[in-house]
Amino acid sequence: MPTVLPSLIDKQDGFEIMRDQIALILFQNQAAQQVLATAGGKDPALWKLRVYTERSNAWEEFLNEPTAVPLDKSPIVNVWYESGVFDGAKSGPVDRQAHAGAFNVDVYGWGVATELPGGGHSPGDMEAAFTAHRGARLVRNILMAGENTYMQFRAADNPKPAPAVWSRSISAITAFQPEQSNVAAHQVVGVRLTLRVEFNEYAPQVEAADTLDFVAVDINRTSDGLLVAEADFDLTI
Amino acid sequence: MNLRAQVEADLAATIEAPGDFGEPFTLTDPLGFSSASQLYGMTADIGETIDADTGQAVAGRQATLTARISTLLAAGYSGLPEHIADGTGLPWLVSFAGPATPSQTYKVKGSRPDRAMGVVKMTLEFWEAAP
Repeated sequence: MPTVLPSLIDKQDGFEIMRDQIALILFQNQAAQQVLATAGGKDPALWKLRVYTERSNAWEEFLNEPTAVPLDKSPIVNVWYESGVFDGAKSGPVDRQAHAGAFNVDVYGWGVATELPGGGHSPGDMEAAFTAHRGARLVRNILMAGENTYMQFRAADNPKPAPAVWSRSISAITAFQPEQSNVAAHQVVGVRLTLRVEFNEYAPQVEAADTLDFVAVDINRTSDGLLVAEADFDLTI
Repeated sequence: MNLRAQVEADLAATIEAPGDFGEPFTLTDPLGFSSASQLYGMTADIGETIDADTGQAVAGRQATLTARISTLLAAGYSGLPEHIADGTGLPWLVSFAGPATPSQTYKVKGSRPDRAMGVVKMTLEFWEAAP
């Protein structure tokens, strides 16, 4: 009969921790950016991001936005885990696996065709694209900033078992439009940033009984300079 | 009267009949002209669309207006509604209300005239007026 794990698996895996850390870094930084923008006399709304994790249709709230007062046109960001590749050469056979995770950071921009006070109008499709691009700019700069090189997981005071991060990089940026046949009443444009993070995953280990005893060894030098060691061992025969 | 002319004439009883499929709407051209008489057509603003690639229902919102071409021309419009890409001017605008919702204004983002049948179907997008 195979043995079973004696302890409850009651922890998040590295990819879960990483997913939440990406969202937390984005959320905290967009709030800080708004404060900086306000201090600099600029419109903080241009630095606002609405951050979600693992949402299948986070942009659906755009559908009924035109009836909301005031309109919130800030980009919606959705962080989700797509896949992971485990590198056996970098992993240990017993306790540690090197996980190269791919996290998609989808940025949705929404635009409404708007009459301009000075005449003319701003096309909604262009506004949606520019809003998505602005959001993607913020996301890329935040995640690729130097202080986030290891996703802030190498600080000595981070709680364990935080995944040790080897590297992170944005491998691709792709723009797309989540609408069909150009008949939708809403103008929404998406930009996907694929963030690849390499980190360690850990698994439950066998907790062996104490098999080692402390050994006290006396090191002495004889009169002719020879080093000798003396130790006492308790043996049960 | 040939068959096509009969179909076109029947539009008065199908998409333009008030209380039937005909719903009142307002159409404003880029120069600000609107018909003095009330216009009627088939309006729609539905909250679900079908993904053309997968055939699955996905969340979306689609607003359309189908109007009779001869009525629009007789009302004084210089041409058929169409998408205006140039942002220096205003686009074609449509306003209509639903049975339980207040009047909302849309921008014409596309039009598909069927000149053989005498109707033009407009696809609409959200519009925000200047404050």
